[in-house]
Amino acid sequence: MSLELLLVLVVGGISAIVLILHLLGRSKTLVMTEETARAGWLRQFPDSDIADVTLAHDGKAALIRTTDDAGLVWSFGADSVARVLHDYDLQDHSKTMRFLLHDFSAPSVTVHLNDTERQDWHSKLEAL
Amino acid sequence: MTDQITYPDVVQYAVPFFVAAVLAEMAWIVIKGRGGRYETRDALTSLILGAGNVASGILLGFIAWGFFMFLWALTPLNLGTSVWVVLLCFVLDDLRYYWVHRFGHRIRWVWASHVNHHSSQHYNLTTALRQTWTYTFTFMMVVRAPLILLGFHPAMVLFVGGLNLIYQFWIHTEAIGRMPRWVEAIMNTPSHHRVHHGRNARYLDANYAGVFIVWDKLFGTFVPELDEEKPDYGLVQNLGTFNPIRVVFHEWVGLFRDVFQSGLTLRQRFGYAFGPPGYSHDGSRDTSETIKAKHLARNPQDAGTPGFS
Repeated sequence: MSLELLLVLVVGGISAIVLILHLLGRSKTLVMTEETARAGWLRQFPDSDIADVTLAHDGKAALIRTTDDAGLVWSFGADSVARVLHDYDLQDHSKTMRFLLHDFSAPSVTVHLNDTERQDWHSKLEAL
Repeated sequence: MTDQITYPDVVQYAVPFFVAAVLAEMAWIVIKGRGGRYETRDALTSLILGAGNVASGILLGFIAWGFFMFLWALTPLNLGTSVWVVLLCFVLDDLRYYWVHRFGHRIRWVWASHVNHHSSQHYNLTTALRQTWTYTFTFMMVVRAPLILLGFHPAMVLFVGGLNLIYQFWIHTEAIGRMPRWVEAIMNTPSHHRVHHGRNARYLDANYAGVFIVWDKLFGTFVPELDEEKPDYGLVQNLGTFNPIRVVFHEWVGLFRDVFQSGLTLRQRFGYAFGPPGYSHDGSRDTSETIKAKHLARNPQDAGTPGFS
């Protein structure tokens, strides 16, 4: 098979599959409830003892506080990912908080928060 | 000894089939409302990794090929190219695949390459295409050396390896439940391979087979899929990025950061590179053994059941 034909097949195939998936509504991201956020955290850290869950209003992220730690669980495509907040930086923007996790496999998380939520998250993060 | 034997690059010829099969699986899921899940960015990442795998084969394939031809020049044996020799080569290469795959889960240096195949939280035909770009750097081509030294031509060895890869494509699906009993007994099937992709403690480090599941049964790594425990696909610590570069290289980055951190002994550095995934010098991380032990501590009733025996 010529390289040109292979390239056309690969690029055309990928484009067609991705376009069809998007048109079929497969690009929607997970919206969590407190319960599913809790389950998402425990899926990653099954030994963890969750103290409280603070869910963002859009259901796309939650701040998890445990008896020994704190972390984030956030929607990642149709699923979720969780990380402990050990070494991170915070960037505050007008409607979002961006967590820079210093993790090559999960570099950053942007959380959409309203003003009340932002104050709540800040106070909880400062108390860690 | 001749080196003029050529076989078709079957993986390249299979590309149209891969695309058609993915579209057929998507249609099946949409029409039936069951049989798996697709997510756009996840599928795109998988497909880009598949394309990159083909590209890396084109760019770096000469390294393995040069090594194999070096061995072919050394060996006095030549088994020829009869159909029976090709079939024998296919079976022995599948045994080779089993061990390379097992090393890929038990040695971090090899896992750093293989991990991206397991990095999707989905399990569909695009997951099959989520392949490594860095296999050459694992040096696992040495495991093929015995085949060539036994007299199987390098072109034949690569040909049957391509067939092995194509076989494994169709087993990455939730659209097929169980195959007939005799197939499940001998062959690697969607059910057996779903177990392999499970991050459940029960399913870790199981079912390394490529084509014949008999290798797992022979070497004690077979775990059946349990109806009461659906595989939870992905990594023990799932990735928070769809960026293909990060997916491909994240474990290599982690490995080198660990190896070159200050204050370690040579043995500890060696452990981070060649120990099992999850090794840590201070015990702060979990290997599959400690994950299983912790699971049993939480669920003692699972002791002695498949995956915990």
